[in-house]
Amino acid sequence: MDTKIRIPRHSMIHVLLVIGAILMILPFFWMLLTSFKSVTESTSMNPFVFFPTQWRWGNYIEVLRQNNFPRLYWNTFAMVVLRVICSIVFSAMAAYAFARLKFPGRGFFFGLVLFQMMVPTQIFIIPQYLMVDSLGMRNTIFALLFPGLVSAFGTFLLRQFFMGLPKELEEAAKLDGCNIGQTFLRIMLPLVRSGMVALGIFTALFAFKDLMWPMIVNTNSDAATLSSALAKIQGAYSVDYPELMAASVLAIIPMLILYIIFQKQFIEGVATSGGKL
Amino acid sequence: MKKRLSVLMAIGLAASALTACGGNNTSSSPSAPAASSAPSASASQKPSGDPVTLTYAIWDSNQEKGLRTMADEFEDNHPDIKINIEVTGWSEYWTMLEAGATGGSLPDVFWMHSNEIYRYASNGMLLDLSDRIKSSQSVKLENYPEGLNQIYNFQDKQYAIPKDFDTIGLWYNKTMFDAAGVKHPDETWTWDDLYSAAKVLTKDGVYGFLAPLHNQEGYYNFIYQNGGTVITDDKQSGYDDPKTIEALEYYVNFAKEGLSPAVFDDAERAELIKNGKVAMGYFGSWNLSGFTENEYMAKNFDVAVLPKKEKQASIYNGLGHAIAYNTKHPEEAWQFVEFLSSKEGQERQAELGVAISAYNGAADLWISSNKTFNIKAFVDMVDYGVIRPYSNTTAVWEDKVNEALGQAFSGKIPVKEAALNAAKVMNESLSQEK
Amino acid sequence: MSKVVSRRISRQTWSEWSWGWFLIAPTMIGLIVLNIIPIIQTAYLSFFKSGDFGRGNIFVGLDNYRKMFDDVQVWHAVGNTLLYAVLVVPISIALSLIVAVLLNGEIRGKSLYRTIYFIPMVAAPAAVTMVWRWLYNEHFGLINYVLSRIGINAVDWVGNPKVSLISIAIIGIWSVIGYNMVLLLAGLQEIPKDFYEASEIDGASKLRQFFVITLPLLSPTLFFVVVTSVIQAMQVFDVIYMMIDVTSPAYEHTVSLVYLFYNNSFKYSNKGYGSAIVILLLAIIMVITFLQVRGQKKWVNYM
Repeated sequence: MDTKIRIPRHSMIHVLLVIGAILMILPFFWMLLTSFKSVTESTSMNPFVFFPTQWRWGNYIEVLRQNNFPRLYWNTFAMVVLRVICSIVFSAMAAYAFARLKFPGRGFFFGLVLFQMMVPTQIFIIPQYLMVDSLGMRNTIFALLFPGLVSAFGTFLLRQFFMGLPKELEEAAKLDGCNIGQTFLRIMLPLVRSGMVALGIFTALFAFKDLMWPMIVNTNSDAATLSSALAKIQGAYSVDYPELMAASVLAIIPMLILYIIFQKQFIEGVATSGGKL
Repeated sequence: MKKRLSVLMAIGLAASALTACGGNNTSSSPSAPAASSAPSASASQKPSGDPVTLTYAIWDSNQEKGLRTMADEFEDNHPDIKINIEVTGWSEYWTMLEAGATGGSLPDVFWMHSNEIYRYASNGMLLDLSDRIKSSQSVKLENYPEGLNQIYNFQDKQYAIPKDFDTIGLWYNKTMFDAAGVKHPDETWTWDDLYSAAKVLTKDGVYGFLAPLHNQEGYYNFIYQNGGTVITDDKQSGYDDPKTIEALEYYVNFAKEGLSPAVFDDAERAELIKNGKVAMGYFGSWNLSGFTENEYMAKNFDVAVLPKKEKQASIYNGLGHAIAYNTKHPEEAWQFVEFLSSKEGQERQAELGVAISAYNGAADLWISSNKTFNIKAFVDMVDYGVIRPYSNTTAVWEDKVNEALGQAFSGKIPVKEAALNAAKVMNESLSQEK
Repeated sequence: MSKVVSRRISRQTWSEWSWGWFLIAPTMIGLIVLNIIPIIQTAYLSFFKSGDFGRGNIFVGLDNYRKMFDDVQVWHAVGNTLLYAVLVVPISIALSLIVAVLLNGEIRGKSLYRTIYFIPMVAAPAAVTMVWRWLYNEHFGLINYVLSRIGINAVDWVGNPKVSLISIAIIGIWSVIGYNMVLLLAGLQEIPKDFYEASEIDGASKLRQFFVITLPLLSPTLFFVVVTSVIQAMQVFDVIYMMIDVTSPAYEHTVSLVYLFYNNSFKYSNKGYGSAIVILLLAIIMVITFLQVRGQKKWVNYM
């Protein structure tokens, strides 16, 4: 490779990536800046206020004082972890079957999986509420988990990953005397690890950002999640943006840390896990 | 990191076979690991002791603090009752109530609104309060504005008791008025004064008046000031009434002559006034806390009663307190609503600045809760206030009317034509009401 | 899909069948209870004039559908929704594919970039809306400010019916890039490195490697991204809901099917009609997805 050509090309790429990055990071940056502003500064456009005139920590103090954050973090954490586990386990099982096994009804059932994804989620809210309610499980962690027990999205995603794996692997496993379950668990599953991590990230993210469901099913403030508790700051008439943003920053920081940890993990995962043919 | 993932996987896979290859293993049944672990997040919910816990659902977090104070005071006098205030944002609130009504698990006490009362009352979701009111010492309906009582009265039964009300005021930029040498608006102002002030104040990129496509904080007020109507007593559209059309023509003219920006978007209205782009605007009393917190507004603005034409008018509306038809604790719920609706409760609400109390006279206490603006104007307007027009399906025709009138606002068709279109779609919609 | 091979089923086939059923059982039971039954209820409800709170539904046959086909707003919404999908899906996938491939290479600071490009996904929706509102604001926004500097008149990005759908689509593209990028990066990890090493020995250029190795081997993931992006785009709601009021003159040119469904079902409490709109949307998505599943044989490369 000619290094002399590489350098300018890479710097062009960097320029493009940096421009993209600025665009992408803008709302986050905005959140951070707004969270230190006064109410007036936050909505002022004329003159336009980019940086707060002074860094006000009061917004954070107020948010922390008004909400039981340990409780909210715990509820959110429990919901996210349970949903991630459920979606990964059940989706991986079903995805493997859809991708690699032949059995009657496969096409039909996979059709149902796709079918679920085509419907706007709003239609599920009231029926699922009625189910949780009839189980007497409102205001519980289980209620938060409920819509995420299984994942059509995850099943479809992991199926694509399983389908991309070479057939020879299973044949070799069969020769070694593995049954289907063992082949799945010991040979195939480790190879779709990136897919599982990606699924985990999305499940966590969507669970985390879900606002309508926890707000409706867990009306008790002790059973709220971070996002549903913070959504209350957005009142019917006026919005205290600095407080809202301070609350949002407090809420998303754990999410961001989690992502940073996991993106390293899933990028580097395969190289060392014997993913090579 | 790697450990973390394998732990995660191990938990998930613990249910299935994990023996070495070649073993003759029949897999165990898939126990759902997460489904069974559902610790209750709310230990406080259980009625372990004697006290009864009532849920009180509201949608405005701005009022939570004041209402909590009142609930605490109520609890002190009723040691056997505990009040749990649950705040849900406006749009989620109605989904939550709808789900609760469908499933039979409504909150014990909750806020009601004129747009929704018909659905809930006509389907028997609310407890009939008539008899309880009759035998109550402290709640008498004659102490509330009759218009507000009527909203929550369905087939001669009272399903909710007025909690508060709101009116619309004329907000004006004192600084701009003084700079232009225009007299501040007061109760003697007429439409002509409004128009000439708007003309003088429109300069240097600032618009004199804000006349957006908005009903409650816009053209509704003008229609009634001009002696027109939006909906007649026999539930017909009032948009074909010449008085209504005249008012709309006057209103739309502001944007046409460039005295007002053409605004269709709800959020943009507040944006413009807070950033000094308009000198006058109509805004409801519920904006008070938001405007007080804004330094620019607090420094430069004040509020006055609306200018008049044939008569004075301001659109007003109010929330009510309702009780679920199937509450497990009707007596306790009533005691709480009775407290909220009593003279003491209503005065306390006003004093704490929670909202403009509906109880006659209690609103005066509310006036002193805000020193920044002349909020007395909001209370003064109750005498000639007009209840926000409503029918059984208000939300449906309101949107259709806005859409029809929008054509005139954007200058595509004459106001009269747009108004007649509005009358047509509104009557069609009204004819489908049950 | 599965063909019954012979009348007598061998033990091995039996074992495969039962494993298959066993493995899909939790997901399928969950989906049927949580989602499929509500969907069927929705379809059922579309033949009724719905009463309130699930009571007093009156059977009206195809009335809701008849009304829907006469409703110009529904056809506007179909057009807007399709146009939105056409604008968003190809551009967002192309951009995220470029970003993913670049960030999978030997670029300095790639894990920082990966984090930054993901950020729109974690930012609070209110923050996202605020930023875009400000950028697009007619009077005070950054975009119009920059334009005014170069002598271009202010544009009402959100309120002007001619540009509003494009403005909305830009937000859509922007917000979905991080999502696509994570999926594509995950897919890129599954491509064995040896393939590249081998082709480098052959002297293949990077561009050629991309088309000969990366694209075919990434195609299963790409297929997933395309199918889900189309579905997501067809279900567009949040951004339009937050940016465009019913009163806006741009409403007619931006309203999507889900927005209409939401208004009818929740705002106007006309669940029957709302359900009919959902069924229409479902039918459109099903046709598109079916065509994609059919078409995948042409370009998706399963090993």
